[in-house]
Amino acid sequence: MGQCQTCFHFSADPLCEICRDQKRNQGLLCVVADSRDLLALERTREYRGFYHVLGGLISPMDGIGPEVLQISSLVQRVDHDDISEVILALTPSVEGDTTSLYLARLLKPFTKVTRIAYGLPVGSELEYADEVTLTRALEGRRAME
Amino acid sequence: MTDKRLLIIGPNGIGKSNLLEAVELLGSLRSHRCSSDQDLIQWDQPQALIRAKANEHEILELELRRKGGRQARRNGKSLSRQLDLIGPLRCVGFSALDLDLVRGEPALRRQWLDRVVMQLEPIYADLTSRYKKLLRHRSHLWKQWRHQPAQQRDSLLDAFDVQMALVSTRIHRRRRRALKRLEPLAAQWQSWLSQGQEQLQLSYLPGSHLEGDEAEEPWRLAIESQLLAQRSEEERLGSCRVGPHRDEIGLLLNGNGARRFGSAGQQRSLVLALKLAELELVSELCGEPPLLLLDDVLAELDPRRQKMLLDAVGEKHQCLISTTHLEGFQTEWQQGSQIIEAGSLISSADVG
Repeated sequence: MGQCQTCFHFSADPLCEICRDQKRNQGLLCVVADSRDLLALERTREYRGFYHVLGGLISPMDGIGPEVLQISSLVQRVDHDDISEVILALTPSVEGDTTSLYLARLLKPFTKVTRIAYGLPVGSELEYADEVTLTRALEGRRAME
Repeated sequence: MTDKRLLIIGPNGIGKSNLLEAVELLGSLRSHRCSSDQDLIQWDQPQALIRAKANEHEILELELRRKGGRQARRNGKSLSRQLDLIGPLRCVGFSALDLDLVRGEPALRRQWLDRVVMQLEPIYADLTSRYKKLLRHRSHLWKQWRHQPAQQRDSLLDAFDVQMALVSTRIHRRRRRALKRLEPLAAQWQSWLSQGQEQLQLSYLPGSHLEGDEAEEPWRLAIESQLLAQRSEEERLGSCRVGPHRDEIGLLLNGNGARRFGSAGQQRSLVLALKLAELELVSELCGEPPLLLLDDVLAELDPRRQKMLLDAVGEKHQCLISTTHLEGFQTEWQQGSQIIEAGSLISSADVG
């Protein structure tokens, strides 16, 4: 299976089903670590914007720096498209927080950046969070400094 | 275990310490000996399981997996957080490592203090493991991105500074508070052990420059700017110069540094005073006397201090004691003890 050329979600076509959906809110972009997190958020049916899949989290210990993730493509997207808000939905681990902080500084010149609030249990992975918690976390998102 | 004291005797390598370590893990989720679960699992096995009957109606289980991750169970029911295992089996450990508490490296004193804070606030484990991870990432970052554009490296370091400043503030605050509670208790024990001759003071010497009281915001901002300021030095020396990993606990006896100026006897008594203060504080907190784990340490103490420890522990605490030999053991310790040869223990160890 291939990847969507825009958001890097699993897709057989060059443009995935979500990116093709014209009814979605064009101004909202949600950043996730991988496709499983995207699917977890889709199950909430609460979020109606677009996504960007990074393909992992920054983790110097594992040799993963910003250059191996879909970060420059994200900056390009935010720069070119008319995006009013980027929502960072990364798991609140050390690696997730590092990535969020790094992205927030990078994207702030272009648009408003928020992160989902920590209604999530500490140490829990996004994938296992139940839908109610995720919905609450989405509603409670706040702007990053 | 029915008696007040259970004395396990046997040669080295038979598994006495393993048993005590298993109890310690169930009680505090930590081992004083290893920091990684990998080292706690038999080398050719994918996982390890500790199961114990803590009292009449509670069976505690902790499963460690080689792949990483733990699963805690209470009466067969899986717990979503392993922290929820803490409570029914409070314990305080005293091992040969602790004998170097006064004389040894600052890291030993930090570990001792951390064990106490953990008992006060189990959530503290999250803070320290988060901090350790941040430090590890940070040192890898210097190694790998040394030749990368400085701008990218600096933005990554910024992201680490922000997190480390917050976690450091919270660790400093908790360590300082715990030490404040320990000081009067330890001073009292030291005075008792020295028949009123020695006055003990404990001081917290944080590895970050902290001013004023425990206001979170000023401390956080101060640490953040200190982290930024030390970067070139950090690059040169290869390690971060600011933070709780550089904390020290000052021990003063009658105004002099006990680590350098104390006699061997004073240092031994001080170790005992610190451990007794820990035991007392933990008792006070959980409302019932915790189990005392004496791992291979009793025979290392001279008869006078053994006697004093016994007087202090009295009949209040249940003790689990391991030793390789009974010589050097005060007979008072053996009285009222259930003595088990380690060989016979292994076969029945899994029923705890």
